[in-house]
Amino acid sequence: MAGSDLAKYPFLNEAGQYLRESSFGWEELNRPDMKYIIDRAAERIEIGVDGKVYDNLERYEIEILTFLISLVIVKSIGIDQVLRKFALAEARRAEKFLTEDLRKQSEIKRRSIFTKIFEDLFKLKIAISEDQRLFKVRVVDYLARAAHFHEQEWKLINRLVYSGYVYLDADETVRIIRNELAVLIYDKVKAMTLPTLPQGMKSKADQLRVKLLSRYEQRGSVVVTDYPPCIKHALGVMNRGDNLPHSARVMLATYMLAIGKPIDEIVLMFENAPDFNEKITRYQVEHLAGMKGSHTKYSVPSCDKLRSENLCFATAECDNLINPIQFGRKKNKE
Amino acid sequence: MKGNVIASKTISIIRRAFREYYFNQSNAIEEPIKMEQREFGYMHFGQAGMLRHLSFKSKKELDAVLVREAPSDVYCSNAYYRFPTQQPMQEKQWLGADLIFDIDGKDLGMPCVPSHSYSVCINCGYVSAPPEQDEERSSYSCLSCGYKKADHVSIPCSKCIDGSRKEARHLMDFLLRDIGLEHNAINIYFSGNNGFHVHINDDACSSLDPQARSDLVGYLSGTGLMLESVGVRKTNTDGSFYIKFPKSGLTYGWRRIIAEKLKIDITSAVKLKNIVNQYGGYNSFKVELDRLARTMGVRIDPQVTTDVHRIFRMPGTLNSKSGLSKTKSRDLYSFDPFVDACLLGDDKISLRVKTPVKLKLKGSSFNISNESAEIPAYAAVYLMCKGLAEAD
Repeated sequence: MAGSDLAKYPFLNEAGQYLRESSFGWEELNRPDMKYIIDRAAERIEIGVDGKVYDNLERYEIEILTFLISLVIVKSIGIDQVLRKFALAEARRAEKFLTEDLRKQSEIKRRSIFTKIFEDLFKLKIAISEDQRLFKVRVVDYLARAAHFHEQEWKLINRLVYSGYVYLDADETVRIIRNELAVLIYDKVKAMTLPTLPQGMKSKADQLRVKLLSRYEQRGSVVVTDYPPCIKHALGVMNRGDNLPHSARVMLATYMLAIGKPIDEIVLMFENAPDFNEKITRYQVEHLAGMKGSHTKYSVPSCDKLRSENLCFATAECDNLINPIQFGRKKNKE
Repeated sequence: MKGNVIASKTISIIRRAFREYYFNQSNAIEEPIKMEQREFGYMHFGQAGMLRHLSFKSKKELDAVLVREAPSDVYCSNAYYRFPTQQPMQEKQWLGADLIFDIDGKDLGMPCVPSHSYSVCINCGYVSAPPEQDEERSSYSCLSCGYKKADHVSIPCSKCIDGSRKEARHLMDFLLRDIGLEHNAINIYFSGNNGFHVHINDDACSSLDPQARSDLVGYLSGTGLMLESVGVRKTNTDGSFYIKFPKSGLTYGWRRIIAEKLKIDITSAVKLKNIVNQYGGYNSFKVELDRLARTMGVRIDPQVTTDVHRIFRMPGTLNSKSGLSKTKSRDLYSFDPFVDACLLGDDKISLRVKTPVKLKLKGSSFNISNESAEIPAYAAVYLMCKGLAEAD
């Protein structure tokens, strides 16, 4: 793998290997010339957290270090939303490079980079179409990823499908692994043990934390005063003492959990239900919260899902929402 | 079969026939792959509710239970679990699930259905001709007791089975040509009543989650096709459009199906524009394309395919709606469910029919117009399961 590839894809194992071979040590970050890289890393995080892609690209020695330092700073900031946004932005950055590479590289080269990244990291085999114009992935591999995209154009029926393969162009091929790239970077940071940071880096990380903390603290403490219409409807049914279907109860409980309502309060919301049993309700709410059973935390069902279950009572304010949880946030932003 | 209106004598005759089957023909029951990881369930004659969350370590163990209990219906999960008997579902630890498709004859809207259908009152069992339209079903009132609910049963004819068979063949074509499944990964079963179940034995498919399965169902059934996929694009203004074919062409998948139907290719921009205009523009053409795709897709039950925790009728077991067996069809064309899936014995049984009926089973035709008759067990059980006859 060439140095220029490592600059674009610093999450590859080869980048780590380069660092080991160059016997990099954290104390080197105290050197004055490292300030440039630390500043660059901080800028990269800020831009990523703002939902944009940092598109500056330097030689690989700088890029690999910048990436590593940005991971360490994000870890040290310790705010999960920051990490998520950063991971997604990094995934989009890599996606951009991958797409460009695919469009311009010669056959053999692009095949090797692709095979490497897609198969090593995501166990996704891609091949070149018979006429060399497109890429193809197995239908099951495509479904496992793209079925979770919301846009209609990603539905299998709108794709070129033949003989067990879905045919995609460069942009589309890369798009289907964006989420996995983000998860990969997220997991990398999660699994990291934080080293003792050199002074220059520590003060940068602290500065950034203070800046971002105010933003996320504010968001975290938002009180949802106006529920989305589906939730209002479910609460109305519940308050009248009518029977609410199981799927609507799951929606109501997962929504309330997601906006941070205490379990005790959520349990009491169900007390008018004709079959209310506090013990059972508590178990079920705790189960949805991931405190019982398989410890899976359930998310709020998507608007698509609610529509299919006849639980959606959308109003004009719901425009473009994909999950009821966005309703409160959208309103509060205004 | 609605046990609550069936006299206990009738139930005991059906049950005896089922028990005999499970005793004599246990070889007909297929041992599921990874049996120890499956959840099993069954129902009893004349009792509501299902006994489920069961597990069997071996086929022998299951055979013994079937002979002992002689259940009305037997089910096995399409899912594999680490702990199949645990409850609630999350505790079972899902490991994967076979991909299955359900083609139900009653969803195909066959024109012959009214000529061999009956309404059986679920309160008193009185049989009458069925209401003609679905809306009239809601206004059903039993002529004997005035009860408002009925079972609408049908004695599927060869045309009904041909309809389901055609649909199964159509599904096979999609699965082989587009989805790329191997022939031997596709197992087709007669459901035991009026349709086919298609089971896919393919490791890669077993890990698909409900959303992925739902997307696949959309593909097979022709739902959600965008006009843009075939080159018709909306402009920002009111309903006007322009033609721009996708860069990747129209050679495969639904793009090819529609292109062939409309007789267009990527050089036919003008022709496509004219076609869209003939239908009255973007929005009207969208309605037409939706309709076209649905007609050309396969009619499968989406709920069945997307449910990865379902317990599903087990191959080789009897269906209490008919007394026929869920039987593998090795050759869809030559398979005759009224012979190949009719596996009960032929001891003579006396019965009273509630309405004159005609049926053909195991190659013998029965035209019963008298109230009382003595016919072989396989035919007698069939009519009793349908609620059209009682033991005499």
